[in-house]
Amino acid sequence: MSSNVLVVLETKGAGWHRMSFEALAAGQKLANELGMSCAGVVMGDNAAIAPLAAELAKKKLNCVWAVGDSLLAQYTADGWVAALQQLIVETKPKFVVLPHTYQVRDFAPALATRMGEVLIGDVTAIEVPDGQSGPLFVRQWMQGKLNAEYRHRSEGGVCFLSVQAGSFRADAVKDGVSEVKTFAPKLDAAKIRTKPGEPYREAAQTVDLSTAAVIVSVGRGIGEQDNLKLVEDLATALGAELAASRPICDAGWLPMERQVGSSGQTVAPKLYLAVGISGAIQHLVGMKGAKTVVAINKDADAPIFEIADIGVVGDLFEVVPALTKAIRG
Amino acid sequence: MKIVVAVKQVPERDAVVRVAADGRSVDESDLAWTMNEPDAYALEEALQLKERAGAGEVVVLCAGPERVQSTLREALAKGADRAVHVVTPEDGDNALMCRDTLDVARLLADAVKGEAPDLVLTGLQSDDLGAGQTGVVMAELLGVPHATLVLQVELAGNGIKVKRELEDGWMQHVEMPLPALLTIQSGGNRLRYATLMGIKKARQKEMRESPAASAAKRVDEVLKVSPPTRVKKTEMLTGSADEIAAKLVEKLRFEVKVL
Amino acid sequence: MVVAFDELKVSMHLAEPAAFPVAEKVLLAAAIVASLGVFAWRLAPIARNVLRSKKDTDFSLRPVGARVWKFFWEVLCQAKVIKQRPLPGLAHAFVFWGFLAFALVTLNHIAVGFGLGFLQYAGMFGTFYVVFAAVWALLVAVSIAGLFVRRFVVRPQWLGAEVSVESGVIAALIFLLMATYLAALFVADGSGAALGLWWVHTLVLLVFLPIIPGTKHLHLVLSPLTVFLKRPEFSQLPKLEGDEDFGLVAGKDLTQLIALQAYSCVECGRCTEHCPASTTGKVLNPKEIVLGVRSYLNENGPGSEVVLLDGAQPALSMEAAFECTTCGACEFQCPVGVQHLPILIGLRRGAVNTGAWEDKYGTKLFLALEKQGNSLGMSSAERDKFIAKQEFPIFDGSQEYCLWLGCMGSYDPKGREIVSDFARVMRALGTQFGVLKKEKCTGDPARRLGNDLLFGDLAEQGLKAFAAAGVKKIVTICPHCVRTMATDWLEYGVAPEIEHHSEFMARHAHLLPQQNGGSIVYHDPCYLGRYQDVYDEPRAVVATAGELVEAERHRERSFCCGAGGGLAFLGEETGDRVSHVRAKELIATGARTIGTACPFCNSMFRDALGAVGGDAPPQLLDIAQLAARGLAMQANDGKPNGN
Repeated sequence: MSSNVLVVLETKGAGWHRMSFEALAAGQKLANELGMSCAGVVMGDNAAIAPLAAELAKKKLNCVWAVGDSLLAQYTADGWVAALQQLIVETKPKFVVLPHTYQVRDFAPALATRMGEVLIGDVTAIEVPDGQSGPLFVRQWMQGKLNAEYRHRSEGGVCFLSVQAGSFRADAVKDGVSEVKTFAPKLDAAKIRTKPGEPYREAAQTVDLSTAAVIVSVGRGIGEQDNLKLVEDLATALGAELAASRPICDAGWLPMERQVGSSGQTVAPKLYLAVGISGAIQHLVGMKGAKTVVAINKDADAPIFEIADIGVVGDLFEVVPALTKAIRG
Repeated sequence: MKIVVAVKQVPERDAVVRVAADGRSVDESDLAWTMNEPDAYALEEALQLKERAGAGEVVVLCAGPERVQSTLREALAKGADRAVHVVTPEDGDNALMCRDTLDVARLLADAVKGEAPDLVLTGLQSDDLGAGQTGVVMAELLGVPHATLVLQVELAGNGIKVKRELEDGWMQHVEMPLPALLTIQSGGNRLRYATLMGIKKARQKEMRESPAASAAKRVDEVLKVSPPTRVKKTEMLTGSADEIAAKLVEKLRFEVKVL
Repeated sequence: MVVAFDELKVSMHLAEPAAFPVAEKVLLAAAIVASLGVFAWRLAPIARNVLRSKKDTDFSLRPVGARVWKFFWEVLCQAKVIKQRPLPGLAHAFVFWGFLAFALVTLNHIAVGFGLGFLQYAGMFGTFYVVFAAVWALLVAVSIAGLFVRRFVVRPQWLGAEVSVESGVIAALIFLLMATYLAALFVADGSGAALGLWWVHTLVLLVFLPIIPGTKHLHLVLSPLTVFLKRPEFSQLPKLEGDEDFGLVAGKDLTQLIALQAYSCVECGRCTEHCPASTTGKVLNPKEIVLGVRSYLNENGPGSEVVLLDGAQPALSMEAAFECTTCGACEFQCPVGVQHLPILIGLRRGAVNTGAWEDKYGTKLFLALEKQGNSLGMSSAERDKFIAKQEFPIFDGSQEYCLWLGCMGSYDPKGREIVSDFARVMRALGTQFGVLKKEKCTGDPARRLGNDLLFGDLAEQGLKAFAAAGVKKIVTICPHCVRTMATDWLEYGVAPEIEHHSEFMARHAHLLPQQNGGSIVYHDPCYLGRYQDVYDEPRAVVATAGELVEAERHRERSFCCGAGGGLAFLGEETGDRVSHVRAKELIATGARTIGTACPFCNSMFRDALGAVGGDAPPQLLDIAQLAARGLAMQANDGKPNGN
C-alpha cells in the first residue's frame, strides 16, 4: 500500500532528533489537506530501529517503513541516498517531507538530484490553496527580509521538501495505529565512499563565544561582583554561555575572553540576552549579528532597546531570578 | 594540488531589497553586489590549503551575468590563480530566478569537469536564497564523495580527512578519497582583506569566459515574493517580574526556539 | 658706565699672533685640507644615501615664499626650538646665533693664519664687531655650559638613557672656541699666548669640522636645508605611483626627503616627549623610528630590497608602527623639519598594501568597510532608522548645507546625540540643511592604517555621491571626516567645500545665548587643532556656554585622546590607556564640564571617565550639545528644560 506523503524521520542515538516529530506534523498536515495518505520512515540498522518503528506505529499514519541494513548503522550520505531512492522507487510517493537538519542538508539535495528533482528546503509554512494547482511552500530569502512561495512543477515527479525547525509543532502530531513494514535496501559497501568518525565534543579549553547558540551577557547594571551569581544561574538554566561588556572584564569580575565588543569577541548567537547593558556602540558592534536580542535594563532610554527584539524595562534583580525559576519550572 | 572554488555573487547584505514589478523576483536595479560570505570562507580555505602544501593551483568559478566578474576579480586579488566565468545570458530581475539549483549546479559541474581538480570547495549556502544545496548537487552530478559543514581540511594519504560540524556543538571527522567536494562552514578561518598588491597582480591573471551550455529551466517555480507581514519592532514586556518571566519563557520556547 | 674710547680700543682688542713663516703656513694649509678632506669623506656616503634615494614625486619648490618664511622663522629665529622647551631652547638659540655672529670672526681667524686678516679692529666696524662677538661668546659659553649640565647632570629622560659622549665632546669644543676667543681679548698682539690661543682655536675648528658628519651634529649642515625643503602640508602623504609602489616596504621606497630628514634628526627627543604612545609605555618611539631609518640607510644603503619593518632595525617593528594614533605632535613641533607622519603611515602602507599586516581587528575593520561601507560594521538600515526618527530632511540639492553624519554620527549613540543637537542648533538658526540618503565612510581609518585600495575606493565613491547629489557645502561634527574629505580625497578629486561644526557655530556665536554653565575645559582634538589650525572657533562656542578653562597641554600641544590612526578600532592597548592619561589631565583642571569637538574624543573620554572619573566626574559634552543646551534654555525662558 503506497502513501502519497512520505516523512523521513531522523534518529539521534537511541532516540529521536527533536525535529523529527515537527516534520511528521508537517507531513500529516499536508496529507490531511490534500486528502492523501501519510507514511513515516525510520532508517538505521535493524536492531536499533525496531523499537523506534514500534513507537512511530502509534501515530496516525498509513504505515511505518523500517528501512534497515547494517550499512545504515552509521549515517553516510551514500547509504541514505541509495536506501531512500530504492524506497521511493518502490513506494512512489508524491511528496517526501524531511526535517531541515544538518544531516538532511548533507544528503537530501543529492537524493533529489539523483531523481531529477530539486529539494525545496527550509520551508516555514505549507499552504494548500483551493483548486488543482498544488500546495505552496514558503521559504525565506535575504535572511528573512522576503518570503517566497514555491510550487513543485514537474508532472509525475516527486516533490522533496524539508521543514525549518520550529515552523511546525511536534505536539500537533496526531496519534493512531499503523503497521510497521520492513524494507531491506540493496546496499553495496564499495559504493559508500565516506568513512565517518564518532561524534565528539571539543575540550572546552578557551571560551569561544563565537560558536555559542545562546549567550547571556552582563553589564554594569549588575552593580557588584557578588551579584554575578544571579546571571550565572540564568545562563546555566538556559544552557547558555556567559559573556560581558567591557567594564565587567576590566574590573576583573569575568575573564577578558568573555568580553563581547569591539575590543573583544564578535558573536552571532540565536539568542543574546543582555542584562544590565546600556548598549554603547563598542558593545553593539560585537553582538549586532545576534538573531534575537532580549534586553533587560532599568533605564527605558538605554540604547540597547533600539536593537532589541524583546525588551524589559525593569529591575534585573527581580526579573532575572524570576526568569531562571520560570525556565526551570 | 588543484582546487576549484565555486563562488556566488549575491546582493550586499544590508541592501534594501524590493520586490520586482512582476511580484515573482527581486528588483535588481539598485542593488550593490558582493561575494557570498560563506564562499569567501571556502576561498580562504582553498588558499590556505595551497599555502600549506607549498604548491598547487586555486581556480575560482562563478556562473552569472557580466557583473559577476567583479567578484571573480576580488577572488583573484585575494590569491586565486585563475578565474572561470560561466556566462549566463539572463540579466536583470530574471537572473536570480531563471535557473534553479539543479540548473546552476549543472553549469558549474560542467566547468569543473573541464578542470579535473582534486578538490572542489564551495560555501555552505548563499546569503541571498540560502538553499544550501548547490555544493551537494554538484557532488552528485560529478559523481564524487562530499561532506558539508566542513571546518577544517587535512590531506591524509591519497584522500582527505575533514572536520565537520554537527548540531549542538558536536564535531565529527570524516575521511574520503580524492577527488571530492566539500561545502565550507563560515568562521572556520580568518578571512583576509583585499590588498592593493593583490588587485594589481589580479590584472595579470587569467579570466576565462565560457558561455552557458544550456538555456535556463526550473523544476519548481516561484509564484510570489513578498515581504513578511510582521515588521521588526522592539516588543516591550510589562507586568510583574513573574508575569514577564512567564511571557519570556513562552517566547523563547516558541518564537526564538531555544528552549 | 662710561669708558674712554681709547681705553676701550685697547681692552677690546683681539690679539693676533705674529705673522707665520712659510713652513707654518704650509702646515696650516695642509691641516685645513686634511680637515676638509675628512669632512668630505665622511659626508660623502650620507650625501650619496640621500641623493641616490628615490625622488619625491610630490615635491615642488613652490610656494617659495612659504619656504623662505619657514626658513626664516624656524631656522633663523629658532621659533620651534624655543617655543616647545623655552629655557634649553633659548640656550640652544644663543649657541646658534652665536655661531652666525661668529661667521666673520672665524673667517678672519683663518685668514690671519695666511697673513690675510681683513677685520680692522681699529676702525668703527671692527670695534663694534669685536664687542658684538665678545657678547655672543659669553652667551654661547654660558649656554653651552648650561646645556652640558642639563645633559650630563640633570639627565632628562627624553635625551635617552645612555649618555652621549659625542655631545660632551662637542660641548667642550664649542666652549673651548668661545674661551679662546674671549681669552684673546686679554693678551697682547704677537705674544706667545696669542699664538697659543690662535692655534688652539684653529685646531678646535679643524677637529670640529670632520666630527660633524656621522654624528647628530650633522644637523648644523643639514637642518636649514631640511626645514627649507620639507613638505608644505601637515601629514602630507605622497600618491603611490605605478604598479610596484605600495608604500615604504623596503629601502628602495625611502625617498630623498625621508633620507634627508633621517640624517637631520638631532636626537633631541622632543617628539618622544610629546608622543601619546611613548608616554604610556608602548613600544613606539618616534625618535627611534627616525633613527631606525637612518641606521637602515647606513647599513643597507638606498635602493635596498631588505624589508623595513620587523627585522631590519629593532625600532622599526610592526608592533610599533601600529601603535601610532597619528596625533602629529611629533611632526608638528620638530625643530629640524623631520616629518614623522609620512614615515609612519608610509611604513603602514608598505605592510597593509602587501598584506604583510595580519591583525584580527584590522582585518575586521577592513572587511567591515569593504562589506558594509562603515567602520563599525553596522547595517545601513540602522542609519535609515535614525534619520527617520530624528526627522532629518533628506538633501535634495535645494538646501544650503549637506549635514554629513559620518560613522559615529550615524551609528554611535553618543555621536547621534551630538549630531541631533547640532541639527537643533542649525534649525534654531534657520539654516537649510539635508542629509544624504546613503553615506559610506570617508575612509579615514583606512587611510591612516595604510590601506590604499580601500581608501581609494571609498574616496571615489564618496566624490561621486556628492557630485550626483549636487552638494555644494558640507558641515560635519567629525574632524576626521573634514580632514579626509578636504585633503586626503584630493588624490582622487575635489570634494565640495567642507567645514567643521565649530567653524559654523563660531560664525553664529553672537546668536548663541550666554549661559552660566560653570567652568568648561576644552580639549583640542588632534584632527581639528594640529591638523587644521582650528583652535579659536570651538573656544568661541565654549565661551558662550560657560567659563573656558585650559588644560595644561592645550592648543597645538594638546594631548591625544588615543582614538586616531585607526586605533579606535584595533583591540586592547598595552601599557596605560592614553585616554585615561588625558582624562586625568582634564579632570585635574577642576572644571565642571569637559568640552569636546570630536565624536571619537567624546567616545574615548566617556569610557575613561567611567574608569578614572571617580564618583562625581565632570560632565562630558560636545560643543554642539553645549550650544543646544543654551538654545533650549532660551526657548524655556531661561529655565532649564525638563531633562
